[in-house]
Parts: sequence; C-alpha cells; structure tokens
Amino acid sequence: MKPNTDKRPLDYDVMVVGAGVAGMETAASMGDMGYRVLLVDKNASIGGRAILLSKVFPTLDCASCIVTPKMASVSHHPNVQLMTYSEVDGIVRNADGSFAVDLHKKASYVDFDACTGCGKCEEVCTVTVADEYNYDLVTRRIAHIAFPQAVPKKAVINRRGEAPCTFTCPANVKASGYVSLVRAGRYKEAFNLHLENAPLVGSLARACYAPCESDCTRGEKEGTVHIRGIKRFMADRYYAEHPEPEYGPVENQLATRAAVVGSGPAGLSAAFYLARQGHQVTIFESEQEAGGMLRTAIPPYRLPKDVVDRDIKNVTTLGVKIKTGHRITSLPDLKQQGFNAVLISTGASDENGLEVEGNDLDGVMGCMQFLHEVNVGEMPDVKNKTVMVIGGGNSAMDPARAAIRMGAGKVIINYRRGRKEMPAHDWEIEGAVEEGVELMLMSAPTRFIGKDGKLVAVECISMELGAPDESGRRRPVPIKGSEKVIPVDMAILAIGLLPSTAHFPAAMKNGKGLLSADPQTRQTADPDVFACGDCVTAPTMIINAIAQGRRAAFYMDRHLKNESLNVPFDGVLEKTDKNVVLEEAERFVERQPVPQPVLPLAERRSSFACYEKVMTEVEVRQEAQRCMNCGECSQCMECVSACAPKCIDFSQKPTPLSINVGTVVMSTGFKILDPATKELLGYGRYPDVVSGPQMDRLLAPTRPYNAVLRPSDGKEPENIAIILCVGSRDHTVCNPLCCRIGCMYSIKHAQLAMGALPMADITIYTIDVRAFGKGYNEFYEQAKAMGIQFVKGKVARIEQLANGNMALHYEDMLGEGGKQTREHDLVVLTVGFLPNTDAFSLYKGDALAADDFGYVREIDPVSEPTRTNVDGLFAAGTTIGVMDIPDTVLHSGAAAAQAAAYLERTRGGQ
Amino acid sequence: MTDKRRIGVYVCHCGGNISDHVNVKEVAATLLGEAEVEVTRTHLFACSDASQQEMIDEIKEKKLDGLVIASCSPKLHTFTFRAMAERAGLNPYQYVHVNLREQCSWVHTGDKPGATFKGINIVRAGVAKCALTHPLTPLRIETQPRVLVVGAGVAGMRAALSLAGMGLSVFIIERESEPGGWAAQVGRMGPDNQHGPEVVARLLEQIRRNDNIILYTNAELTAKSGHIGDFNATIRLCGQEDVSLNVGAIIVTTGFTPYEPRDGEYGWGMPGVVTLMQFRQMLEAANAADGPLTYNGVPVRDVGFIYCVGSRQEKSEACPEPNAHCSRFCCMATAFTGSLLHEVEKKSGQTINQYHLFRDVRTYGRLETVYTNARADGALFLRWDPKEPPRVEQHDGRLAINVKDTLLGDGELEIGVDLVVLATGMTPRKNDSLNDVLKIPKSKDGFYNEIHIKLRPVETAIDGVCIAGTAQGPKNLSESVASSLAAVARTGALLKKGYVNLEPLVAKIDTTKCVWCDECLKVCPYGAIERVRCGDKEVAMVIESTCKGEGACVPICAQDAIVIEGFRDDQILAMIDASLKELVTA
Repeated sequence: MKPNTDKRPLDYDVMVVGAGVAGMETAASMGDMGYRVLLVDKNASIGGRAILLSKVFPTLDCASCIVTPKMASVSHHPNVQLMTYSEVDGIVRNADGSFAVDLHKKASYVDFDACTGCGKCEEVCTVTVADEYNYDLVTRRIAHIAFPQAVPKKAVINRRGEAPCTFTCPANVKASGYVSLVRAGRYKEAFNLHLENAPLVGSLARACYAPCESDCTRGEKEGTVHIRGIKRFMADRYYAEHPEPEYGPVENQLATRAAVVGSGPAGLSAAFYLARQGHQVTIFESEQEAGGMLRTAIPPYRLPKDVVDRDIKNVTTLGVKIKTGHRITSLPDLKQQGFNAVLISTGASDENGLEVEGNDLDGVMGCMQFLHEVNVGEMPDVKNKTVMVIGGGNSAMDPARAAIRMGAGKVIINYRRGRKEMPAHDWEIEGAVEEGVELMLMSAPTRFIGKDGKLVAVECISMELGAPDESGRRRPVPIKGSEKVIPVDMAILAIGLLPSTAHFPAAMKNGKGLLSADPQTRQTADPDVFACGDCVTAPTMIINAIAQGRRAAFYMDRHLKNESLNVPFDGVLEKTDKNVVLEEAERFVERQPVPQPVLPLAERRSSFACYEKVMTEVEVRQEAQRCMNCGECSQCMECVSACAPKCIDFSQKPTPLSINVGTVVMSTGFKILDPATKELLGYGRYPDVVSGPQMDRLLAPTRPYNAVLRPSDGKEPENIAIILCVGSRDHTVCNPLCCRIGCMYSIKHAQLAMGALPMADITIYTIDVRAFGKGYNEFYEQAKAMGIQFVKGKVARIEQLANGNMALHYEDMLGEGGKQTREHDLVVLTVGFLPNTDAFSLYKGDALAADDFGYVREIDPVSEPTRTNVDGLFAAGTTIGVMDIPDTVLHSGAAAAQAAAYLERTRGGQ
Repeated sequence: MTDKRRIGVYVCHCGGNISDHVNVKEVAATLLGEAEVEVTRTHLFACSDASQQEMIDEIKEKKLDGLVIASCSPKLHTFTFRAMAERAGLNPYQYVHVNLREQCSWVHTGDKPGATFKGINIVRAGVAKCALTHPLTPLRIETQPRVLVVGAGVAGMRAALSLAGMGLSVFIIERESEPGGWAAQVGRMGPDNQHGPEVVARLLEQIRRNDNIILYTNAELTAKSGHIGDFNATIRLCGQEDVSLNVGAIIVTTGFTPYEPRDGEYGWGMPGVVTLMQFRQMLEAANAADGPLTYNGVPVRDVGFIYCVGSRQEKSEACPEPNAHCSRFCCMATAFTGSLLHEVEKKSGQTINQYHLFRDVRTYGRLETVYTNARADGALFLRWDPKEPPRVEQHDGRLAINVKDTLLGDGELEIGVDLVVLATGMTPRKNDSLNDVLKIPKSKDGFYNEIHIKLRPVETAIDGVCIAGTAQGPKNLSESVASSLAAVARTGALLKKGYVNLEPLVAKIDTTKCVWCDECLKVCPYGAIERVRCGDKEVAMVIESTCKGEGACVPICAQDAIVIEGFRDDQILAMIDASLKELVTA
C-alpha cells in the first residue's frame, strides 16, 4: 500500500483501532474535544474484554455498569462513527502527516440496517460452536448476537468458507446444511433445503456417487460422514410422510414457454427450476416413461423405480408437462410450436461397440441395452448361464451385479488393466465380488465365438502394462500367444457411452459428437437453444447432470426474461481449509462412523430389493453429529425463514474502504496466554481446572449456568484454589513480565465466590500479592478479613484424584514449610497475558517499534506517554503492556490529548 | 398541570443483580395498574443499547411525558438515561431514577417477597415524584479558554505544555521557588533510566519558550470564585502581591508528601538511617565523583533497605492514623536503587552487600524487569512479616537489622549494616490552605478523590477542577504524566467547545418569603448565595452557576423560602405518601 502524495481532505480527524475500554475512552475523549472520530473494531460488538468481566476491582461495580456507559457514549456520540465487524488492512503515513487507511467491513451476512437484534436467527440456527464470549465454557450458535449487552445489538453469521462437501458437490447441494438440519431433527426442512439445489432427492440418496463424502474432513480422521446415508433417511422419511409434494404451481405464472428435450436428471432439474420461475415448461421424452438413465440404466437394487416416480412428481407438480414417447427430431419445429427457448438434455446412452470378430452374434449386447431390458423391458434370461461383462467402470458393475440377481450361473468382469486401474468405485467392485462376481483382470476379448449365430465362448488374451498413454495411465499391451477360450453365454459390453445427439445437426456438435454450449451459461450458438448434461459433457454422474440442469435453467430464465446473461451463477465461497478445521478438531471427541446397514448377502444375490438399508433415526442423528461444521455456517437457511425483517443475505461480500485520517490511535489490546502451555497444571485435561477469564464468566451476572458450578458435573464447588502467576513471571513460557492485574482480579474472584458460595473455602496461591493501586491494598486486607486464605507457594503440579477432585502439589513457604499436597474441587488458573501483535502488521510504513516483550513501544513513557516511533500514530491502553481499567482509562485520556496535540500541530490551520 | 400524566416505568433485571432478589415482573405488573402509569416493562439490562432503543421507541409511540427507571444507583446511569430521554424527545428532567439495586435488592438478599414489596413501594414513590416534574432547561455558560495548573512538577508542566499545544492559555503556579517537584531531586529513575533533573530541565525550557504559558513560582492559590468555565483565581506571589486570574478550568497537580517516619521507627533518628531519597542523593554524589560510596567518610560495605515504611500500615498505639494504602512506586524505586548501587560498586571496585527487606515485591507489569535486574545485580531479598517487623539497633557504632526472614523458617537474622535505607511511601500533600480554597473531596486514604476511578478518573466533585498525578494517589512518573494528559483531554473537551451546560437542579428562593437572615449564606459550602435588593427589602439570591443543588440552605431557612428544583417539598411529600400508601392502608 502506498501513501497519498496529494494533500487531501480528511475523512476523519482520527481513527481509533480497537473498541475496548481504551479505544472507547480515546474515541469519546476525542469526540468531546470536537474531533471527528472513526472507531473500528473487528468484533461484532464494541466493549472489548472488559464487558465480559463479572465485576471490577476494587469497588466491585458490575462490569456492565462500568462499560455500558462507555459503549453507549461512543455509540451515540455525534462525533464518533462506529465501524464494527470491520478490519483494518493497512495504514501508511502520508507526506503531510495524515494517514492513508485501507479497511473493510467484513461480510456479516446480515443487513445491519434492517436487523432488530431480536435473536430469532440464533434460536433456529442448527450449528453450535464454542462461545468465545464465555471463554469456551459453553457453546453458542453460528448465527448469533455477541452477548446480551452488545453494541450494536446486531446478529452476525460466521462463515469460514464453503464446507468441502458443499463446495465439491457439482450442484453445490448444501450437504452441511441438511446434515445439520437432520442433526436437529428437522427432516422436512432438510428435504426442502435440498430442493433448492437438486430436485431429485430420492434418486440421489440411493444412486449418487457422493463426491461430498470423498471430500469430507472427517474422512481425514475416523472416516467420512455418510452424507448420502443421511440423505437417504431424510428422503425416505419425507416421501413416506408426503406421498405428494406440499406445493403446487408457483403463483406468478408467466406466458413464456420452454421446451426441454430429454427427461433425464439434467432435463428434469432444468424444468423444475424454470417452472419455479413461472415459465410454462414441456419436457419431450422419446422413451415411454420419464427419468432417462435413472429409469432405464440404474438397476432397481440401487434405485427402485417408485422413488424415481416420486422424484419426478417434485417436478410435475409445478405444472411441468412431460410428453413421453415423443422423439424430437427438429428444433425449428419446436420454435414453430411457440416455445421461446429450448433446452437439449438428451444424455449419452448410445454405446461404443467393440470392433472384434463376432460382435454381431446373438448374446453380445451393450450394457445400456441389457440394463434397459432389465429395467423397463423384458428381463433377459440368464438363469444358470455364464455372463461376461467387458469393462471396468461403474457401468460394468450394474449389469454384472444385476446378472447375479437374475440367477446367472457365473458372472465374469473382464478388464484389460489391473484391479487398481479399474475406474469403478471401490465399494462397487467390492460389493460385486462379495456377491459372487469374478474378476478377470489384465485380459481383453479378441473374438466372440458363436455357434448357430449364438454366442458360446469368448476368446481372450492376457495383457501387460506398457508405457503410459496420454491420460497418464499405463497402456495395456497384449501378450502374444496367451489367448484362451472361455465358454460364455452372454457378453455385455460396458466400454463407454456416446452422446445421444444423432438427431441434431452437425453444426451444433464437436468432433466427438458432443453439443457445443457455453460452459458458463450453457447457451448454444442459437441464443434460444441451450444444452446441458451428458450430451454436452460426455457421460458423468447424475449430480453433474443435475448441476448443469440448474445452471442452464438459471440462464434460460434470464434469457426468457430478456435479462443479461453476464451475471455470475452461484455465490459459492472459497473452500474451507481443512487444516484449520482439523487443528480445531484436536479438541473434538473421536466419533467413529455408523456402519451403513446392507441386506444380507443371500438376499442381495436373489432379489432386486434395495441392497442398502436405511439407517434408523438414532443412527442417522448420531452420524450427523460427526459433521465438523467445516464452513461454520452450514447454510441450513433456517435463519432466513425465521428472520421477520428479512435481513439475512448470504450474497453479502466484504465492503472495502480507503480513507484519509489525521492521526491514528492503536488500542488493539492484549491476548490471553493459553493456560494449557503450563502442562503440569492440567488445563484442558481436567475440566475443573479453569482459567481466570473463565472464572470471571462463571461469576458474571450473565453467567453461562446462572450459578457458580464446576464444569465437570455441575456441583457447587466447596473448596476452590486460585493459582496466581500462571504463565507470568515465568521464563519457561518466555513471559518474564508480571501480568499486573492477576493478583487483583483473583482477589475479586475470591470475594465474589465467597458471596456466591458462602460455605466454600477459598485459597489463593501466590508469589507476591501485588495490590498496588488506589484502594487495592485495602481490598486485599478486606479479602484476608473475609477468611480467604493466602498461601505463599508456587503450585508445581496438579493431578486429578479418583473422586474427581484435584490434588495440588506445592511448596509451602510460610506455613509448615516443605512439600505439601492439598485437595480442591475447583482450580482457577490466573493466567498471564501476551501482546496482541496485530498493530505491527497493520502499519505498512517503516516498522512500528516493539519493546522487548512484543508490545508496542512507547518511545518516551515519562514525558510522552502513548507516543510510538511513528509520528502521529499513538498506542493506548494495554497495547503497550497490560494494565488495569483505571490505568487504561488514564492512558487513553493521554492518547487523546497526544492525538489532539498532533492534529493541532499538523493541521492547526484547518 | 391538570391533565393526567403518561408515565413509563421500566424495571431493570440488572442481569440478575436485581431480579435474583426482587421479582421485577411483579413490580412492573403492580405499577401498571396505578394512575398516571401508561406502560411498564422489564429489561435484562436497561442500560444496554438495545433496551434504550426500545424505550425510546415506546416513549415516542405512546407519547410518554414522564419516565421512571428502576435500576442501579443513579450515580452510574443518570446521565445515560437523561441522554436517552433527550433522544426520545422527552425533557431529561422529567425522568426519575429509582435505585432498586443498592437500595433494595443488594440489601435484602434472601427475602424476595420483602424485597419485592419494598421495590414496589420505592418505584411507586418514584412515580409520584415523576408526576410532579416539569421540563427544566440546563444553564448554558460560556467558557474561558484559559487554564490554571496548580503545581509545577513534571505532571503539571507536561499538562501545561499539552494544553498550550491545544491552543489554550495556561497559568502554572508553583509554591516552591523552583519548579520540577520531586523528579528534579531524584537523579536517574526506574524503569526507563531517565534522569529526573534532565526531564525537568527539558520541560522547563519548552515552557519558557511557549508564549501561551505563564509560570509563577513562589506562588500560592489563595482564593477561588466563580464556576466551571469561568473561575477567578487569586494567586499570592512571594507571600505578598496578589494576582487575579480568570480561567475556564483548573488542573491540580500538587503531588505528594513523602512519609516522615516517627522517631525510632526502623531506627529513624539514628545516624546511618536515611530515607530512600536521601540515599539516592548520596549515590548521585558518589557517582558524580566516580568515587566509592561513603558515609561519614567511611566506605559503605553493607546497606539494608526496608520496604513499606509508612505504607500498608495497620492501626496500633504507635500508629493511630495508619496509611493503609500501598505507595505503589517504592518497590520499583528501591529495587532500581539496588541496581544503581551495584553500578557504583562496579565503578569504585568496592564490595557492597545489599539486603532488601520486603513484604511483597510489587514490581507490577513490566517493572518486574527492575526486580529481576536487582537480583542479578546482587541484591538479596528477605521477606518479613508485619507482625514481626525488622528492628534496627546500634551495636558498637554500627547498625544492625534484626529480622525474621519468613522464607528461611524460624531463624532470626542479624544483619550488620552501615546504612539503613527506609523506602518511605507517599502520603497526601499537606496543604490545608489550598484544600480550603479548592474544597476537593478526599478519599479514605487522604488523597484527592476523583468522581469515579474508572468512569471519570480525573474529574472531581467540583466541576471544572481536575486532579492528576500523585495528588490523586501514588503513581510513578510515567503514570503521573499519563493522568495529567488525561486531565488535559477532559479540560480540552470542556474548553474547546466554548460553552458548558450546567444542572438546573439548583436552589430557588421565594423572595416574598425571604427576610434575609443570612443563615443560608452561612451554610452554603459553595458560596452560591448573594444578598441583593429586591424592591424595598434585602433578600438572598442564588448564583445558579455556582449552586450545586446540595440543599443545606433548605432546612436552615426559617421562612421556608427555599426549594431545590428536582427535590421540591411537594415532590418529597408525594414520595412519602406513595411509598407508605400500602403500609398505611394495610
């Protein structure tokens, strides 16, 4: 980022970064002096850490009583502009002494102007995460208002990125969304959410190859979440309860007419989304029944036909007409019939032949032909016969496994490469082998041998793998002289499918016979004609065809409404970095996959019944619990339906802003040291070892359990230990500094705990008790008088006893002396603090100077407090080192005076 | 006003602080039935922004003309809700605050029905008072763009420079003949190793060059009149000549008085027993001469430092008025002195053993490094218990400290030393005449008291008068300067605007009843009463800008001629009637 060289007017006199106590105080002070202030905070609410406190020492005022007036005063100050949920990207100093600033308002997915802070979105949100405002003691929702006193009181929705499952799905079906809805028991909502991206829910639940599952983050741990199994439960439950769709044609019907050629998944999906926009849609299907490959190719043990029928109802209910047995041979005819636009989605069911001797024999057929007969024609008789399927892809598995179910004596899959190279899914191959299919690998047919025009045997030759071909796979090469003859009654060729585009003019097609369409809009050279699905892409998965159908419908709709097609399709975020999720998941409990129940082998071998059984409700909820909420928000859309003012907007983007300010005050605060760093003290291992900030939450009026309870079992603690200087004055964690506030906030904890739990014993383990401020020593004396025990001795180690309590090992320096052990039922670790180093990365000029401990350095703390090495950039409050609230308030007042003096000096005349 | 009032009553849970002990829903429900109450509601935090917005919407929508908020102490949120009322288009003085927390829930824990009953009655009293409110307008006062800084130590000088930098004129007065305060006498200071006299000289030079600052030494503030924004201060120069200054605000940076040990306290009075300040001057001298540290011409071999002298005291026969406070700076300053002593040791080649006798080493925050350095520099730290403080004795012309080191178990040590250095604490500045003029309230420890340590830490009960530095409480130098700059920011906010609004809740005199007996004049602590002629008689008049509405004049007036706006007799009587209504009828 570059400084501004021209002298330009200031957007604000001062920008204050960070709206904790220091930032608010500085901003209010500057505002009171008449300067125009921009107060920026990256969090959803101002208030910093202080608003989360229980009470404050030494007066025991409520933290709310101290901080809310400051929050109110800045939020209503006529001279202070708040920018919450916003981050500064960079600051540079201009030649005239002002500062150029780049910043952006983060996407909150909530329109703040419309949000009333009612909290309905929070109530319905299906994803929970550790609540940082309660220091992870409890959970909060992803759609949330930071805390009850938040300013502004607006909801925000956290989205880390697109969940890998949703991102990977070609149709971006919100897998994370329906999984979280199922987890919440909202099955109907889950189903309806699915309709937004793909209408053929039942078919997908059974026959989708589920790319979502291959990209599931849980797969990096115990095994992928069985997303399709969850969908199966949700679809089955919904269809059982709703034999008919709950909706009819949309209200706003348009006069525009669209024709869809082909009723496969692509055509059906396109028709669905077009009809939802109100267009009059007719599908033309050459077969006698609609469904395309769903009906004709996938055998019923994978996809029962009543499910296809019910899926199609989702489409026809909208008013979509399907004309079956109607092959379209001329596009101009359709236009003449009054269709304003046409979508071609004829699929790819034509087959590659095998150019070897005898391929015309009776008994040699294509896999599509075979499956067509199995599905909708007359079942071929293969009883006790030997069937050879040639090919190693998924399309070879279907006929092979169907043949087993039809009573074939022997089924052989003949594939020219090895097992590893087989393109079919592993689980398909395993299932086939389990059911009795034999694999004949590294082998290719050289001749079909017939007798009386009927196939009786296949001559095969063994292969070996040679040099890699252009696809990178090693090319199989025949081994001369290795031919052998195998008796076979039926040979099924599953060696590739061709687009079904024979009826369309050559000008529309490329060399491979595929239709040419714009990859973004699916529009062909004729603007009124669109094309999508396998006839454009060559054979692929059902979900791909559906994805294209929805995409084509989106642009066709715009075309039909005479709107520009130059718009993006879906607002999909970047894919979430799995490593980030996995890192967080270190804390997650292990969750083993729930196994997918299948039919017993004998039943599978003898019937076309669906071989996968549906999971029970308990199983499916348990499986849904395994989802790691990779994207944070699952996009279940419950908040969208619940929000009365309609202020949730998932298309929101970060809003960047470049401004010029006269001076900058950094009040970016501090960080809390992770108490787990002191491993021997057991934080993270023992639930009843909590950190000081957590204790503050336990004692706060807005406390999580509405009582002081120990986290493990909800018991009221009776004997509390508070250990001072955890990670402070401690070279082992490279933090030699005293934390400055630990002694006092711990004495406050002790006094408050004594009030809340009058029967509890409280012991504070100290090195020194540093009660140095106004009224502090008196507060310490008061604690002693209340009966709070002070033990001088550093606790070396904590271990949990069989009764759940903790044993503290320490050296008693004043009492008995020597090594002692004492039992407590709640232990509070008064943790140290670390600098927040954000300030350094925000300033893009010559480096902002740090002190020896990583805080922003005051160049002359004695006579120029808050001044940094960058002239005009000041640091207020704990940015220069942790301090208590009174000191912070004074220091911030000083920052305001310094910033004001700088403004007078650099811009006095203005 | 004959029309029925339309009052809104809002009862706060205070997140459980109130609602745990008072059934706030019941309070709200009961009040809803009362005459003149239009609406009642409860809020989890009435002060939160969202709650305020809801109240504002309702005030506007229901056209309320009175507002009662029952929550915490009015000390915390009166201004919050006045500002809210204003945003809602309601006169802020038609809002009445009921203290349902400090005066009810917190004092009646464990008796929810009783606390609820009382709560209902005190809120009812608030409603009765509210019904008798009428709109008031604050007094607007023009402010003078000049500031008086009292005390020219580092804090005061730094404040003066900063004020001048903001375009204000500054008068800075110093009682002593030389400005600079304690810093000018102390040499190098921890933790930043800055040289006090150099810091003072630098600031003084800047002040002399600044046309907007006038420095008076040998000057004392002897009288002050006027009010915020427009004070007249009388300065006596060299004890004889008076100068009158007209200023808009005053910043008091009068510093501290070091604790003076009692005779015999830790050997005080014995030769070789010195204060830390005296010791530092000895060190400076040795350092300047590049020679060894000597006492009475003899090189010093052993030095004992005793911490907490005059701080953290407990009441005893010997010490009837103890300083209970911690003096904050002395642990760091003494430990830092240990390192300075080590420097002299290194330079002179003489071996000096140093013993630091402490209670708790309060080198907070980054000052910890000073303590760490002192230990590395050879300082030995021994911890003593206030029950058995160290005893200083003289043996054969040498000093001995007898101390029980609590970290070594029971054994008592006798440490032979050449010097005993007493780390004396800070005590409030002894300056009764100034206190009489300024009338700034003091806190328990005797230092000047701020209004609220976290909310308004440099302002005092006297509007327009800020305190900073060690006048407010012990601080080290950088903390003093930070607080003085905070006072500058407050003062700047006051004076740069050019005007200030004052409370209209002041005394009013019924001149028909007044007979000028001068009793009110005598009791008024603010000098807000003037004698004026009114027709054919003399009556008392209230200087509204000076009156604090404090009320001493009201009961003293035999003629019942005085009322305080906001606390009028009819209001108070109505409150009593309302709060007793249920008790009397029951």
